Amino acid sequence: TTWPNTGCFSEVAYSQSTGQKEQLSRCLQRGIRRVQDLCKVLQLPTVFEETAVSYFQRALQHPSFHLVSLEKKELLGGCCIFVTCRQHNWPLTMGTICSLLYVKQELFASVYLSLQKELGLSVPALSLGDLVKTHLNSFQLFQHAANVPAPFVEDKEKMVARTMQIVELASETWLVTGRHPIPIVTAAAFLSWQSLQPAARLTCTFARFCKLAGVDLPPPAHLRLKELLEILLRMASQLAWLRVFNMDKKTVVKHIGDLLQHRIFLLKNAFCLEDEEEQRAVAPGEGSPGSPPAAGGAAQEEGCPSERKRQHEGGPRPLLPPCLINPRKRLRTAAPSASDSAITGDEPISDSEIEQYLRGPEEIRAFRKAK
Amino acid sequence: PLTPMTPMTPVTPASESSGIVPQLQNIVSTVNLACKLDLKNIALHARNAEYNPKRFAAVIMRIREPRTTALIFSSGKMVCTGAKSEEQSRLAARKYARVVQKLGFPAKFLDFKIQNMVGSCDVRFPIRLEGLVLTHQQFSSYEPELFPGLIYRMVKPRIVLLIFVSGKVVLTGAKERSEIYEAFENIYPILKGFKKAS
Repeated sequence: TTWPNTGCFSEVAYSQSTGQKEQLSRCLQRGIRRVQDLCKVLQLPTVFEETAVSYFQRALQHPSFHLVSLEKKELLGGCCIFVTCRQHNWPLTMGTICSLLYVKQELFASVYLSLQKELGLSVPALSLGDLVKTHLNSFQLFQHAANVPAPFVEDKEKMVARTMQIVELASETWLVTGRHPIPIVTAAAFLSWQSLQPAARLTCTFARFCKLAGVDLPPPAHLRLKELLEILLRMASQLAWLRVFNMDKKTVVKHIGDLLQHRIFLLKNAFCLEDEEEQRAVAPGEGSPGSPPAAGGAAQEEGCPSERKRQHEGGPRPLLPPCLINPRKRLRTAAPSASDSAITGDEPISDSEIEQYLRGPEEIRAFRKAK
Repeated sequence: PLTPMTPMTPVTPASESSGIVPQLQNIVSTVNLACKLDLKNIALHARNAEYNPKRFAAVIMRIREPRTTALIFSSGKMVCTGAKSEEQSRLAARKYARVVQKLGFPAKFLDFKIQNMVGSCDVRFPIRLEGLVLTHQQFSSYEPELFPGLIYRMVKPRIVLLIFVSGKVVLTGAKERSEIYEAFENIYPILKGFKKAS
Protein backbone atom coordinates (compact mmCIF):
# COMPACT_ATOMS: atom_id res chain seq x y z
CA THR A 1 0.00 0.00 0.00
CA THR A 2 1.10 3.57 -0.50
CA TRP A 3 0.84 6.35 2.07
CA PRO A 4 -2.21 7.97 0.46
CA ASN A 5 -4.11 4.64 0.84
CA THR A 6 -3.58 4.34 4.59
CA GLY A 7 -6.44 6.77 5.21
CA CYS A 8 -8.81 3.85 4.75
CA PHE A 9 -7.29 1.96 7.74
CA SER A 10 -9.52 3.84 10.18
CA GLU A 11 -12.67 2.76 8.34
CA VAL A 12 -12.69 -0.69 9.98
CA ALA A 13 -12.09 -0.88 13.76
CA TYR A 14 -9.45 -3.38 14.92
CA SER A 15 -11.89 -5.11 17.27
CA GLN A 16 -14.36 -5.73 14.46
CA SER A 17 -11.91 -7.43 12.09
CA THR A 18 -10.12 -9.49 14.74
CA GLY A 19 -13.35 -10.64 16.49
CA GLN A 20 -12.21 -9.28 19.88
CA LYS A 21 -15.75 -8.40 20.87
CA GLU A 22 -16.89 -11.90 20.05
CA GLN A 23 -14.59 -13.55 22.56
CA LEU A 24 -16.24 -15.13 25.53
CA SER A 25 -15.25 -13.93 28.97
CA ARG A 26 -13.26 -16.26 31.16
CA CYS A 27 -16.18 -16.61 33.52
CA LEU A 28 -18.48 -17.63 30.70
CA GLN A 29 -15.94 -20.07 29.27
CA ARG A 30 -15.45 -21.68 32.69
CA GLY A 31 -19.17 -21.85 33.23
CA ILE A 32 -19.82 -23.47 29.85
CA ARG A 33 -17.11 -26.05 30.52
CA ARG A 34 -18.70 -26.79 33.91
CA VAL A 35 -22.12 -27.26 32.31
CA GLN A 36 -20.63 -29.61 29.73
CA ASP A 37 -18.81 -31.61 32.42
CA LEU A 38 -21.97 -31.95 34.50
CA CYS A 39 -23.89 -33.17 31.46
CA LYS A 40 -21.22 -35.83 30.90
CA VAL A 41 -21.39 -36.94 34.55
CA LEU A 42 -25.19 -37.24 34.28
CA GLN A 43 -24.82 -38.99 30.91
CA LEU A 44 -27.24 -36.63 29.25
CA PRO A 45 -27.79 -36.56 25.47
CA THR A 46 -25.86 -33.96 23.43
CA VAL A 47 -28.98 -31.92 22.68
CA PHE A 48 -29.45 -31.39 26.44
CA GLU A 49 -25.92 -30.03 26.71
CA GLU A 50 -26.51 -27.57 23.86
CA THR A 51 -29.77 -26.34 25.39
CA ALA A 52 -28.27 -25.99 28.87
CA VAL A 53 -25.28 -24.07 27.50
CA SER A 54 -27.53 -21.68 25.58
CA TYR A 55 -29.63 -21.05 28.72
CA PHE A 56 -26.44 -20.45 30.68
CA GLN A 57 -25.16 -17.91 28.14
CA ARG A 58 -28.50 -16.10 28.15
CA ALA A 59 -28.67 -16.09 31.94
CA LEU A 60 -25.15 -14.76 32.41
CA GLN A 61 -25.91 -11.85 30.09
CA HIS A 62 -29.06 -11.00 32.03
CA PRO A 63 -28.64 -8.10 34.50
CA SER A 64 -29.99 -10.23 37.38
CA PHE A 65 -27.11 -12.70 37.08
CA HIS A 66 -24.31 -10.65 35.60
CA LEU A 67 -23.07 -9.38 38.95
CA VAL A 68 -23.92 -12.25 41.28
CA SER A 69 -21.29 -14.06 43.31
CA LEU A 70 -19.10 -16.75 41.73
CA GLU A 71 -20.85 -19.33 43.86
CA LYS A 72 -24.20 -18.39 42.34
CA LYS A 73 -22.73 -18.34 38.84
CA GLU A 74 -21.53 -21.91 39.32
CA LEU A 75 -24.96 -22.85 40.61
CA LEU A 76 -26.53 -21.23 37.59
CA GLY A 77 -24.99 -23.86 35.34
CA GLY A 78 -26.60 -26.59 37.42
CA CYS A 79 -29.94 -24.78 37.29
CA CYS A 80 -29.76 -24.58 33.49
CA ILE A 81 -29.14 -28.33 33.32
CA PHE A 82 -31.99 -28.96 35.73
CA VAL A 83 -34.40 -26.87 33.65
CA THR A 84 -33.28 -28.59 30.44
CA CYS A 85 -33.82 -32.04 31.94
CA ARG A 86 -37.28 -31.12 33.15
CA GLN A 87 -38.22 -29.70 29.75
CA HIS A 88 -37.27 -33.02 28.18
CA ASN A 89 -39.06 -35.01 30.90
CA TRP A 90 -35.74 -36.37 32.11
CA PRO A 91 -36.40 -37.08 35.80
CA LEU A 92 -33.56 -35.30 37.52
CA THR A 93 -34.38 -34.26 41.08
CA MET A 94 -33.10 -31.18 42.82
CA GLY A 95 -31.54 -33.37 45.47
CA THR A 96 -29.33 -35.06 42.85
CA ILE A 97 -28.13 -31.85 41.22
CA CYS A 98 -27.51 -30.21 44.61
CA SER A 99 -25.35 -33.11 45.75
CA LEU A 100 -23.37 -32.92 42.48
CA LEU A 101 -22.79 -29.21 42.95
CA TYR A 102 -22.16 -29.48 46.72
CA VAL A 103 -24.68 -26.74 47.41
CA LYS A 104 -27.53 -26.26 49.83
CA GLN A 105 -30.95 -26.78 48.39
CA GLU A 106 -32.15 -23.37 49.64
CA LEU A 107 -29.51 -21.52 47.61
CA PHE A 108 -30.15 -23.68 44.56
CA ALA A 109 -33.87 -23.03 44.89
CA SER A 110 -33.46 -19.25 44.98
CA VAL A 111 -31.23 -19.22 41.87
CA TYR A 112 -33.51 -21.69 40.09
CA LEU A 113 -36.66 -19.66 40.76
CA SER A 114 -34.90 -16.45 39.64
CA LEU A 115 -33.71 -18.15 36.47
CA GLN A 116 -37.21 -19.38 35.71
CA LYS A 117 -38.68 -15.93 36.25
CA GLU A 118 -36.03 -13.76 34.55
CA LEU A 119 -35.69 -15.90 31.43
CA GLY A 120 -39.41 -16.68 31.31
CA LEU A 121 -38.71 -20.41 31.11
CA SER A 122 -41.58 -22.83 31.15
CA VAL A 123 -40.66 -25.80 33.30
CA PRO A 124 -43.05 -28.75 33.23
CA ALA A 125 -43.86 -30.57 36.44
CA LEU A 126 -41.77 -33.59 37.36
CA SER A 127 -43.27 -36.79 36.03
CA LEU A 128 -43.75 -39.24 38.88
CA GLY A 129 -43.74 -42.21 36.54
CA ASP A 130 -40.35 -41.28 35.12
CA LEU A 131 -39.06 -40.54 38.61
CA VAL A 132 -40.03 -44.03 39.79
CA LYS A 133 -38.06 -45.64 36.94
CA THR A 134 -35.01 -43.45 37.48
CA HIS A 135 -35.01 -43.82 41.25
CA LEU A 136 -35.36 -47.60 41.09
CA ASN A 137 -32.41 -47.70 38.67
CA SER A 138 -30.19 -46.82 41.62
CA PHE A 139 -31.46 -49.76 43.74
CA GLN A 140 -28.99 -52.63 44.07
CA LEU A 141 -31.56 -55.39 44.50
CA PHE A 142 -31.88 -56.59 40.95
CA GLN A 143 -28.68 -58.57 40.75
CA HIS A 144 -27.13 -61.16 43.04
CA ALA A 145 -24.48 -59.64 45.27
CA ALA A 146 -22.49 -60.71 48.32
CA ASN A 147 -24.41 -58.49 50.74
CA VAL A 148 -27.87 -59.21 49.28
CA PRO A 149 -29.41 -62.55 50.38
CA ALA A 150 -30.85 -64.56 47.48
CA PRO A 151 -34.52 -64.23 48.59
CA PHE A 152 -34.10 -60.45 48.53
CA VAL A 153 -33.14 -60.19 44.87
CA GLU A 154 -36.08 -59.06 42.74
CA ASP A 155 -36.97 -58.76 39.08
CA LYS A 156 -36.61 -55.12 38.10
CA GLU A 157 -39.56 -54.88 35.74
CA LYS A 158 -41.97 -56.43 38.23
CA MET A 159 -40.79 -54.10 40.95
CA VAL A 160 -41.02 -51.01 38.77
CA ALA A 161 -44.56 -51.94 37.66
CA ARG A 162 -45.81 -52.57 41.18
CA THR A 163 -44.08 -49.48 42.61
CA MET A 164 -45.68 -47.40 39.88
CA GLN A 165 -49.12 -48.73 40.83
CA ILE A 166 -48.56 -47.97 44.52
CA VAL A 167 -47.33 -44.45 43.70
CA GLU A 168 -50.45 -43.92 41.57
CA LEU A 169 -52.57 -45.10 44.48
CA ALA A 170 -50.73 -42.65 46.73
CA SER A 171 -51.40 -39.88 44.24
CA GLU A 172 -55.13 -40.70 44.06
CA THR A 173 -55.41 -40.69 47.84
CA TRP A 174 -53.78 -37.29 48.27
CA LEU A 175 -50.49 -38.55 49.68
CA VAL A 176 -48.35 -37.03 46.92
CA THR A 177 -49.58 -33.48 46.37
CA GLY A 178 -47.42 -30.93 48.10
CA ARG A 179 -44.90 -33.49 49.34
CA HIS A 180 -41.33 -34.41 48.44
CA PRO A 181 -41.60 -37.17 45.82
CA ILE A 182 -38.57 -39.31 46.71
CA PRO A 183 -39.76 -40.45 50.16
CA ILE A 184 -43.05 -41.61 48.64
CA VAL A 185 -41.28 -43.48 45.85
CA THR A 186 -38.93 -45.10 48.38
CA ALA A 187 -41.82 -46.16 50.63
CA ALA A 188 -43.75 -47.50 47.63
CA ALA A 189 -40.67 -49.40 46.44
CA PHE A 190 -40.33 -51.03 49.87
CA LEU A 191 -43.98 -52.11 49.93
CA SER A 192 -43.80 -53.35 46.37
CA TRP A 193 -40.64 -55.36 47.10
CA GLN A 194 -42.12 -56.90 50.26
CA SER A 195 -45.40 -57.78 48.57
CA LEU A 196 -43.70 -59.63 45.69
CA GLN A 197 -42.26 -62.23 48.08
CA PRO A 198 -43.82 -61.58 51.48
CA ALA A 199 -42.84 -64.88 53.08
CA ALA A 200 -39.14 -64.10 52.89
CA ARG A 201 -39.29 -60.33 53.23
CA LEU A 202 -41.89 -59.35 55.82
CA THR A 203 -39.30 -59.45 58.60
CA CYS A 204 -37.01 -57.02 56.79
CA THR A 205 -37.29 -53.48 58.14
CA PHE A 206 -37.49 -50.38 55.98
CA ALA A 207 -34.08 -49.20 57.14
CA ARG A 208 -32.45 -52.53 56.30
CA PHE A 209 -34.14 -52.57 52.90
CA CYS A 210 -32.67 -49.16 52.05
CA LYS A 211 -29.25 -50.22 53.26
CA LEU A 212 -29.32 -53.36 51.10
CA ALA A 213 -30.61 -51.39 48.13
CA GLY A 214 -27.82 -48.85 48.59
CA VAL A 215 -30.19 -45.85 48.79
CA ASP A 216 -30.78 -43.18 51.40
CA LEU A 217 -33.74 -43.41 53.74
CA PRO A 218 -35.11 -39.86 53.81
CA PRO A 219 -36.86 -39.04 57.12
CA PRO A 220 -40.39 -38.47 55.75
CA ALA A 221 -40.34 -41.92 54.11
CA HIS A 222 -41.40 -43.58 57.40
CA LEU A 223 -44.45 -41.31 57.57
CA ARG A 224 -45.30 -41.96 53.92
CA LEU A 225 -45.05 -45.70 54.57
CA LYS A 226 -47.40 -45.37 57.53
CA GLU A 227 -49.90 -43.39 55.45
CA LEU A 228 -49.75 -45.90 52.59
CA LEU A 229 -50.37 -48.79 54.98
CA GLU A 230 -53.38 -46.99 56.45
CA ILE A 231 -54.86 -46.57 52.99
CA LEU A 232 -54.19 -50.23 52.16
CA LEU A 233 -55.76 -51.39 55.42
CA ARG A 234 -58.91 -49.38 54.71
CA MET A 235 -59.08 -50.85 51.23
CA ALA A 236 -58.53 -54.36 52.60
CA SER A 237 -61.50 -53.93 54.94
CA GLN A 238 -63.70 -53.71 51.84
CA LEU A 239 -62.49 -56.96 50.27
CA ALA A 240 -64.97 -59.68 51.17
CA TRP A 241 -62.43 -62.52 51.45
CA LEU A 242 -60.12 -60.45 53.64
CA ARG A 243 -62.71 -59.36 56.17
CA VAL A 244 -62.40 -62.65 58.02
CA PHE A 245 -58.74 -62.00 58.70
CA ASN A 246 -57.51 -59.61 61.33
CA MET A 247 -55.50 -57.41 59.01
CA ASP A 248 -52.61 -55.39 60.35
CA LYS A 249 -49.74 -53.47 58.83
CA LYS A 250 -47.69 -56.62 58.29
CA THR A 251 -50.35 -58.95 56.97
CA VAL A 252 -51.91 -56.45 54.56
CA VAL A 253 -48.65 -56.43 52.58
CA LYS A 254 -49.34 -60.01 51.44
CA HIS A 255 -52.50 -58.84 49.70
CA ILE A 256 -51.20 -55.70 48.00
CA GLY A 257 -51.46 -57.42 44.61
CA ASP A 258 -55.21 -58.02 45.07
CA LEU A 259 -55.78 -54.58 46.49
CA LEU A 260 -54.11 -52.92 43.53
CA GLN A 261 -56.05 -55.07 41.10
CA HIS A 262 -59.39 -53.89 42.51
CA ARG A 263 -58.18 -50.45 43.38
CA ILE A 264 -60.98 -48.38 41.86
CA PHE A 265 -63.78 -50.38 43.44
CA LEU A 266 -62.07 -50.53 46.83
CA LEU A 267 -61.30 -46.82 46.95
CA LYS A 268 -64.91 -46.04 46.14
CA ASN A 269 -66.14 -48.22 48.98
CA ALA A 270 -63.46 -47.47 51.53
CA PHE A 271 -63.59 -43.72 51.22
CA CYS A 272 -66.35 -41.18 51.12
CA LEU A 273 -65.97 -39.59 47.70
CA GLU A 274 -68.93 -37.20 48.05
CA ASP A 275 -68.66 -33.43 47.76
CA GLU A 276 -65.52 -32.40 49.65
CA GLU A 277 -67.11 -29.14 50.69
CA GLU A 278 -69.60 -31.05 52.80
CA GLN A 279 -66.75 -33.01 54.29
CA ARG A 280 -64.89 -29.83 55.15
CA ALA A 281 -67.92 -28.27 56.79
CA VAL A 282 -66.67 -29.64 60.13
CA ALA A 283 -64.41 -26.63 60.60
CA PRO A 284 -65.17 -22.95 59.95
CA GLY A 285 -63.05 -21.56 57.12
CA GLU A 286 -61.32 -18.20 57.50
CA GLY A 287 -62.53 -15.14 55.66
CA SER A 288 -66.06 -16.47 55.16
CA PRO A 289 -68.64 -13.90 56.04
CA GLY A 290 -71.35 -16.49 55.63
CA SER A 291 -70.05 -18.50 58.57
CA PRO A 292 -69.37 -16.28 61.57
CA PRO A 293 -67.49 -17.95 64.42
CA ALA A 294 -70.58 -18.75 66.49
CA ALA A 295 -72.37 -20.49 63.66
CA GLY A 296 -69.12 -22.11 62.54
CA GLY A 297 -68.56 -23.43 66.04
CA ALA A 298 -72.05 -24.91 66.07
CA ALA A 299 -71.42 -26.52 62.70
CA GLN A 300 -68.23 -27.97 64.08
CA GLU A 301 -70.07 -29.46 67.03
CA GLU A 302 -72.70 -30.83 64.68
CA GLY A 303 -70.26 -32.11 62.10
CA CYS A 304 -67.69 -33.72 64.35
CA PRO A 305 -69.91 -36.18 66.25
CA SER A 306 -71.39 -37.52 63.01
CA GLU A 307 -67.94 -37.71 61.47
CA ARG A 308 -66.54 -39.46 64.53
CA LYS A 309 -69.54 -41.76 64.63
CA ARG A 310 -68.97 -42.74 61.02
CA GLN A 311 -65.33 -43.50 61.66
CA HIS A 312 -66.09 -45.36 64.86
CA GLU A 313 -68.54 -47.58 63.02
CA GLY A 314 -65.82 -48.30 60.41
CA GLY A 315 -67.72 -46.39 57.77
CA PRO A 316 -66.05 -44.68 54.86
CA ARG A 317 -63.61 -41.93 55.76
CA PRO A 318 -63.56 -38.82 53.56
CA LEU A 319 -60.85 -38.92 50.93
CA LEU A 320 -58.91 -35.82 51.85
CA PRO A 321 -55.26 -34.80 52.09
CA PRO A 322 -53.69 -35.79 55.43
CA CYS A 323 -53.27 -32.13 56.39
CA LEU A 324 -57.08 -31.86 56.42
CA ILE A 325 -57.72 -35.17 58.17
CA ASN A 326 -55.21 -34.37 60.93
CA PRO A 327 -54.81 -30.60 60.96
CA ARG A 328 -51.85 -29.59 63.09
CA LYS A 329 -52.47 -25.88 63.18
CA ARG A 330 -55.10 -24.25 65.29
CA LEU A 331 -57.57 -22.30 63.19
CA ARG A 332 -57.16 -18.54 63.31
CA THR A 333 -59.99 -16.26 64.40
CA ALA A 334 -62.20 -15.52 61.42
CA ALA A 335 -62.95 -11.81 61.01
CA PRO A 336 -61.42 -8.67 62.51
CA SER A 337 -63.35 -7.18 65.45
CA ALA A 338 -65.65 -4.19 65.07
CA SER A 339 -63.21 -1.91 66.92
CA ASP A 340 -60.40 -2.88 64.55
CA SER A 341 -62.60 -2.06 61.59
CA ALA A 342 -63.44 1.36 63.05
CA ILE A 343 -59.80 2.55 62.97
CA THR A 344 -59.25 5.42 60.54
CA GLY A 345 -55.51 5.86 61.01
CA ASP A 346 -55.91 9.50 62.07
CA GLU A 347 -56.83 8.86 65.70
CA PRO A 348 -55.18 11.16 68.26
CA ILE A 349 -52.19 9.59 69.99
CA SER A 350 -51.91 10.26 73.71
CA ASP A 351 -48.58 11.21 75.27
CA SER A 352 -49.04 8.60 77.97
CA GLU A 353 -49.25 5.85 75.41
CA ILE A 354 -45.99 6.94 73.80
CA GLU A 355 -44.22 7.52 77.12
CA GLN A 356 -44.77 3.88 78.11
CA TYR A 357 -42.20 3.05 75.43
CA LEU A 358 -39.55 5.44 76.72
CA ARG A 359 -36.96 4.67 79.38
CA GLY A 360 -36.68 6.87 82.43
CA PRO A 361 -33.30 8.28 83.57
CA GLU A 362 -32.88 5.55 86.23
CA GLU A 363 -33.58 2.87 83.71
CA ILE A 364 -31.12 4.35 81.24
CA ARG A 365 -28.42 4.40 83.93
CA ALA A 366 -29.14 0.77 84.85
CA PHE A 367 -29.18 -0.26 81.17
CA ARG A 368 -25.84 1.47 80.55
CA LYS A 369 -24.37 -0.21 83.61
CA ALA A 370 -25.63 -3.61 82.50
CA LYS A 371 -24.14 -3.15 79.01
CA PRO B 1 -93.63 1.97 32.59
CA LEU B 2 -90.33 2.87 34.24
CA THR B 3 -87.22 2.96 32.07
CA PRO B 4 -85.00 0.00 33.08
CA MET B 5 -81.65 1.11 34.51
CA THR B 6 -78.56 -0.38 32.96
CA PRO B 7 -75.61 -0.61 35.37
CA MET B 8 -72.62 1.50 34.29
CA THR B 9 -70.13 -1.17 35.32
CA PRO B 10 -70.55 -4.92 34.83
CA VAL B 11 -71.83 -6.62 37.96
CA THR B 12 -70.69 -10.14 38.76
CA PRO B 13 -73.80 -12.26 39.23
CA ALA B 14 -74.12 -13.57 42.78
CA SER B 15 -74.15 -17.14 41.49
CA GLU B 16 -70.68 -16.67 39.97
CA SER B 17 -69.15 -14.83 42.94
CA SER B 18 -67.26 -17.03 45.36
CA GLY B 19 -68.97 -15.65 48.46
CA ILE B 20 -65.58 -15.82 50.19
CA VAL B 21 -63.76 -12.65 51.19
CA PRO B 22 -60.00 -12.92 51.70
CA GLN B 23 -58.88 -11.66 55.07
CA LEU B 24 -55.96 -9.24 55.28
CA GLN B 25 -53.10 -10.66 57.34
CA ASN B 26 -50.21 -8.27 56.89
CA ILE B 27 -49.60 -4.77 55.57
CA VAL B 28 -46.13 -3.39 54.84
CA SER B 29 -45.82 0.39 54.61
CA THR B 30 -43.05 2.94 54.47
CA VAL B 31 -42.78 6.51 55.60
CA ASN B 32 -40.06 9.16 55.56
CA LEU B 33 -39.38 10.80 58.93
CA ALA B 34 -37.24 13.32 56.99
CA CYS B 35 -34.41 13.68 59.50
CA LYS B 36 -31.15 11.87 60.25
CA LEU B 37 -31.46 9.56 63.26
CA ASP B 38 -28.93 8.43 65.87
CA LEU B 39 -29.89 4.76 66.13
CA LYS B 40 -27.67 4.08 69.13
CA ASN B 41 -29.38 6.91 70.97
CA ILE B 42 -32.84 5.60 70.05
CA ALA B 43 -31.96 2.08 71.20
CA LEU B 44 -30.69 3.43 74.51
CA HIS B 45 -33.71 5.59 75.28
CA ALA B 46 -36.55 3.42 73.95
CA ARG B 47 -37.76 0.33 75.82
CA ASN B 48 -39.26 -1.33 72.77
CA ALA B 49 -36.19 -1.10 70.56
CA GLU B 50 -33.43 -3.51 69.60
CA TYR B 51 -30.32 -2.54 67.67
CA ASN B 52 -27.49 -4.79 66.59
CA PRO B 53 -25.55 -2.96 63.86
CA LYS B 54 -23.36 -6.01 63.16
CA ARG B 55 -26.43 -7.98 62.20
CA PHE B 56 -28.69 -5.30 60.68
CA ALA B 57 -28.30 -1.58 60.15
CA ALA B 58 -31.64 -0.51 61.60
CA VAL B 59 -33.43 -0.25 64.92
CA ILE B 60 -36.22 -2.80 65.31
CA MET B 61 -39.04 -1.26 67.31
CA ARG B 62 -42.35 -2.76 68.38
CA ILE B 63 -45.61 -1.41 69.75
CA ARG B 64 -48.50 -3.27 71.28
CA GLU B 65 -51.41 -1.55 69.59
CA PRO B 66 -51.67 -1.89 66.66
CA ARG B 67 -49.42 -4.92 67.09
CA THR B 68 -46.66 -4.10 64.62
CA THR B 69 -42.91 -3.93 64.07
CA ALA B 70 -40.94 -1.07 62.58
CA LEU B 71 -37.50 -0.91 61.02
CA ILE B 72 -36.03 2.52 61.57
CA PHE B 73 -32.99 3.52 59.52
CA SER B 74 -30.47 6.26 60.24
CA SER B 75 -31.55 8.02 57.04
CA GLY B 76 -34.93 8.65 58.63
CA LYS B 77 -36.74 6.12 56.47
CA MET B 78 -38.99 3.66 58.25
CA VAL B 79 -40.75 0.39 57.36
CA CYS B 80 -43.82 -0.69 59.30
CA THR B 81 -45.01 -4.31 59.19
CA GLY B 82 -47.62 -6.50 60.85
CA ALA B 83 -50.78 -4.40 60.67
CA LYS B 84 -54.04 -6.00 59.56
CA SER B 85 -55.40 -2.99 57.65
CA GLU B 86 -54.19 0.08 55.84
CA GLU B 87 -55.59 2.33 58.56
CA GLN B 88 -53.91 0.33 61.32
CA SER B 89 -50.61 0.51 59.42
CA ARG B 90 -50.89 4.28 59.17
CA LEU B 91 -51.80 4.64 62.83
CA ALA B 92 -48.90 2.43 63.87
CA ALA B 93 -46.45 4.34 61.67
CA ARG B 94 -47.65 7.59 63.27
CA LYS B 95 -47.03 6.15 66.74
CA TYR B 96 -43.49 5.12 65.84
CA ALA B 97 -42.88 8.61 64.44
CA ARG B 98 -44.22 10.06 67.71
CA VAL B 99 -41.81 7.87 69.74
CA VAL B 100 -38.91 9.14 67.63
CA GLN B 101 -40.15 12.73 68.14
CA LYS B 102 -40.34 12.20 71.91
CA LEU B 103 -36.72 11.07 71.80
CA GLY B 104 -35.78 14.53 70.57
CA PHE B 105 -35.62 14.14 66.79
CA PRO B 106 -37.54 16.53 64.46
CA ALA B 107 -39.40 13.64 62.82
CA LYS B 108 -42.00 14.41 60.19
CA PHE B 109 -44.44 12.04 58.50
CA LEU B 110 -43.84 12.29 54.77
CA ASP B 111 -44.81 10.07 51.83
CA PHE B 112 -46.59 7.38 53.78
CA LYS B 113 -47.22 4.55 51.32
CA ILE B 114 -48.60 1.05 51.47
CA GLN B 115 -46.00 -1.12 49.78
CA ASN B 116 -47.49 -4.60 50.10
CA MET B 117 -50.65 -6.26 51.34
CA VAL B 118 -51.04 -9.96 52.17
CA GLY B 119 -54.37 -11.70 52.40
CA SER B 120 -55.48 -15.28 52.91
CA CYS B 121 -58.59 -17.39 52.64
CA ASP B 122 -59.84 -20.92 52.35
CA VAL B 123 -61.80 -22.30 49.42
CA ARG B 124 -62.83 -25.25 51.62
CA PHE B 125 -61.97 -28.04 49.23
CA PRO B 126 -58.68 -29.84 48.44
CA ILE B 127 -56.91 -28.87 45.20
CA ARG B 128 -54.98 -31.07 42.74
CA LEU B 129 -51.93 -28.87 42.32
CA GLU B 130 -50.46 -31.22 39.70
CA GLY B 131 -53.49 -30.62 37.50
CA LEU B 132 -53.43 -26.87 38.00
CA VAL B 133 -49.76 -26.57 37.04
CA LEU B 134 -50.45 -28.54 33.85
CA THR B 135 -53.33 -26.40 32.66
CA HIS B 136 -51.88 -23.05 33.78
CA GLN B 137 -48.20 -23.68 33.15
CA GLN B 138 -47.39 -20.15 32.02
CA PHE B 139 -48.52 -18.68 35.34
CA SER B 140 -47.69 -21.52 37.75
CA SER B 141 -44.65 -22.87 39.47
CA TYR B 142 -45.10 -26.06 41.49
CA GLU B 143 -41.94 -27.62 42.91
CA PRO B 144 -42.87 -29.96 45.76
CA GLU B 145 -39.16 -30.56 46.39
CA LEU B 146 -38.88 -26.89 47.37
CA PHE B 147 -42.23 -25.80 48.69
CA PRO B 148 -45.55 -27.60 49.22
CA GLY B 149 -47.66 -24.89 47.56
CA LEU B 150 -48.15 -23.83 43.97
CA ILE B 151 -46.95 -20.30 43.16
CA TYR B 152 -49.36 -18.62 40.76
CA ARG B 153 -48.25 -15.31 39.26
CA MET B 154 -51.39 -13.56 38.12
CA VAL B 155 -50.88 -10.89 35.47
CA LYS B 156 -53.96 -8.81 36.05
CA PRO B 157 -54.05 -7.80 38.78
CA ARG B 158 -50.34 -8.32 39.40
CA ILE B 159 -50.65 -10.58 42.42
CA VAL B 160 -48.81 -13.70 43.52
CA LEU B 161 -50.94 -16.46 44.97
CA LEU B 162 -49.71 -19.41 47.02
CA ILE B 163 -52.16 -22.23 46.59
CA PHE B 164 -52.01 -25.26 48.87
CA VAL B 165 -53.47 -28.75 48.60
CA SER B 166 -55.66 -28.01 51.63
CA GLY B 167 -57.52 -25.31 49.72
CA LYS B 168 -55.87 -22.49 51.63
CA VAL B 169 -54.77 -19.58 49.47
CA VAL B 170 -52.37 -16.74 50.30
CA LEU B 171 -52.41 -13.62 48.12
CA THR B 172 -49.59 -11.09 48.15
CA GLY B 173 -48.11 -8.22 46.17
CA ALA B 174 -51.11 -5.91 46.35
CA LYS B 175 -50.90 -2.17 46.84
CA GLU B 176 -54.68 -1.90 47.34
CA ARG B 177 -57.09 -4.37 48.91
CA SER B 178 -59.28 -4.39 45.81
CA GLU B 179 -56.41 -6.16 44.00
CA ILE B 180 -56.52 -8.97 46.56
CA TYR B 181 -60.27 -9.36 46.16
CA GLU B 182 -60.08 -9.22 42.38
CA ALA B 183 -57.26 -11.78 42.27
CA PHE B 184 -59.22 -14.19 44.42
CA GLU B 185 -62.37 -13.84 42.33
CA ASN B 186 -60.25 -14.59 39.25
CA ILE B 187 -58.66 -17.72 40.75
CA TYR B 188 -61.73 -19.17 42.44
CA PRO B 189 -63.44 -20.53 39.28
CA ILE B 190 -60.10 -22.00 38.17
CA LEU B 191 -59.68 -23.77 41.50
CA LYS B 192 -63.24 -25.02 41.43
CA GLY B 193 -62.34 -26.77 38.21
CA PHE B 194 -59.96 -28.99 40.19
CA LYS B 195 -62.38 -29.67 43.02
CA LYS B 196 -63.80 -32.96 41.79
CA ALA B 197 -60.63 -34.18 40.12
CA SER B 198 -60.36 -36.98 42.68
